[in-house]
Amino acid sequence: MKLGLTLGGIAAAVVLATAAQADKLDDIIASGTLRCAVTLDFPPMGMRDASNNPIGFDVDYCNDLAAALGVTAEIVDTPFPERIPALMSGRVDVGVASTSDTLERAKTVGFSIPYYAFENAVVANDKVEMADWEGMKGKTVGATAGTYEAIWLEGQVKAWGEGEFRPYQTQADVFLALSQGQLDATVSTVEVAEANVKSGNFPGIKIVDKAPMVPDYVALFTMRNEYGLINYLDLFVNQQVRTGRYAELYKKWVGDGEPANLSVPGVDR
Amino acid sequence: MFGYTFQWKQALSKLPQMLDGALVTMEIALLSMAIGIALAVLLTLFRLSGNRVLNGFAVTWVEVARNTPALFQIYMAHFGVASFGIHFSPFTSLLIGITFNNAGYLAENFRGALKAIPETQTRAGRSLGMTPLEAFGYIVMPQMLRIAFLPMTNQMVWAILMTSLGVTVGLNIDLYGVTQDLNALTFRTFELFAIAGVIFYLITKIIQLGARLVAARLFRY
Amino acid sequence: MFDTALSAADLWFLTKGAGMTILVTAVSVVFGTVLGIVFGVFRYQLGAIWAAPVTFVLDVSRSIPLLIQLVLANAFLGTVLRLQMSGFTVACMVLTLYTAAYCAEIVRGGIDAVPLNTRRAARSLGMTWAQDMRYIVMPLATRVALPSWIGLALGVMKDSALVYVVQVVELMKSTQILITRLQEPLFLLLICGLFYFVISFPLARFGGYLEKRWSND
Repeated sequence: MKLGLTLGGIAAAVVLATAAQADKLDDIIASGTLRCAVTLDFPPMGMRDASNNPIGFDVDYCNDLAAALGVTAEIVDTPFPERIPALMSGRVDVGVASTSDTLERAKTVGFSIPYYAFENAVVANDKVEMADWEGMKGKTVGATAGTYEAIWLEGQVKAWGEGEFRPYQTQADVFLALSQGQLDATVSTVEVAEANVKSGNFPGIKIVDKAPMVPDYVALFTMRNEYGLINYLDLFVNQQVRTGRYAELYKKWVGDGEPANLSVPGVDR
Repeated sequence: MFGYTFQWKQALSKLPQMLDGALVTMEIALLSMAIGIALAVLLTLFRLSGNRVLNGFAVTWVEVARNTPALFQIYMAHFGVASFGIHFSPFTSLLIGITFNNAGYLAENFRGALKAIPETQTRAGRSLGMTPLEAFGYIVMPQMLRIAFLPMTNQMVWAILMTSLGVTVGLNIDLYGVTQDLNALTFRTFELFAIAGVIFYLITKIIQLGARLVAARLFRY
Repeated sequence: MFDTALSAADLWFLTKGAGMTILVTAVSVVFGTVLGIVFGVFRYQLGAIWAAPVTFVLDVSRSIPLLIQLVLANAFLGTVLRLQMSGFTVACMVLTLYTAAYCAEIVRGGIDAVPLNTRRAARSLGMTWAQDMRYIVMPLATRVALPSWIGLALGVMKDSALVYVVQVVELMKSTQILITRLQEPLFLLLICGLFYFVISFPLARFGGYLEKRWSND
């Protein structure tokens, strides 16, 4: 009797312990839903179609990930500055939001291996005389708050010691301000710049030059301590490239040409 | 205890930057109050003028200011008016938005205060040979400002709180903007915003205390 | 006057945003008012010292930008306590407290406005405290408090424009999403502003009317 109780207790403890050890990966599979933070004003990575449904490279990427996990995807529209709060507050499971994997951020969240790499372009208002990226010196420039290029550009403006830097909350606000002539120039990813120029939504803007930055590697992210999930994400990114899906998505959303090489020569991750 | 490790040291090391931001926040709020009070007095005069156009203008201003969100007013001041080719810097846009809001609310407060001032006083002033404007400026306005002092203090606090909306028009030198920039760099959301919250709280307390001191000095009988 | 690409689907999208604005406001105002009345009476009965902790919390809610309250509540509930809460819940919780903070002040002001002699008369007629509150204080205090309360409710509706930070797509956010796609900022902003105005203005006028009518007797 007593032994039975003890055994029962141990069994219960084991069950509880296993339940407590279920990690995020298990939680996602069990819940049947993968909630992705995607930034939907960042064409062609994330945007909305004519009936305001989410579409884009990141949206497809999230859908692929959900399919691999055997769950349904839920796209949570998350502006750049709110990506991490959304993750930290458990509102999303994974960020598929073109997030640069900086060391400063890696202190707080866990990144997968890069799943995409951006080059950045300088985009200017038509009325502004600008030959190359250094033409931004002394001008009013802006970028999306909290992005890689914003951090770089603000650093540049400080280094130049003249001109003004304005971070807007969304990529759309940046291009709106640029198109309205409130900004003289901005730095954004080549993809975003080309998509916005091509769309005709923002009249009076032109691509001037490439920005002299290290390619902006972006990664999927989740909680820092969710190693199981991070491992899965790494393998998933690897498989996307291996199976040709990466090139396929590139062609679908970005266009012809070679998608960026995701490995850095001379070093392992 | 929590599934989260607080990193207060890292966040606190940014305190000097945040305090600089707090100064900008106070500057915007003070400017917007000073201009807002002047405009509100003007709007009150418009309402008293008996001129239909002026009165209509004042009423429209007050009602729009009071019946739409401050966020809307600030966003409009930046992106809305730019559709007409008028460009304001983020600082100016925020200042315009808050001032517009302040003037609307204050004008309404002034109107309430006016009810407490007997009209016979204006008439007495007029019969002493004052012009209507003189009677308003020397007799009615000082009392009006005194009666509306408490609502004005509240509005000042709101002005401080409203500066946090500057980020929506690209401002990053005020307290909220600085905090958000730091957050983008480090992702220490809770710690940074908690510190910003404490600073905002202290600012409003200082304003309320200051207002009380001013009131005690000004309103001795 | 405007040549616009705004489609019926987009208008529906805006309407849904407006619905969210109203829903968040309604939930927060209802719960916030109940809490506010409790706190207001509590504070009046217990005196300033005993009610100090509650007063402090409410005071903080009035002294910190709503945007920061939302971000903090979101970060604390989610990041620190690891509670799985929707943005909607967080938004409603913060706005409820915010409403309660102002409502408690209004309630206190309302009770204060009831002449003590009237209440003493009620008690000396043998009414209990509860009867005094119910039949004497409530009707009289409501007259003083209702116009301010209407102002508060409208204020909460306008301030609910900030809940976009916790991923709630309300009217202002819906407008911004459409601006992103259609690039017609002025036109869309005017629609958005008009909506707030159409709800707020008549109610504000009604509050003013009540104030005027009830103060003349």
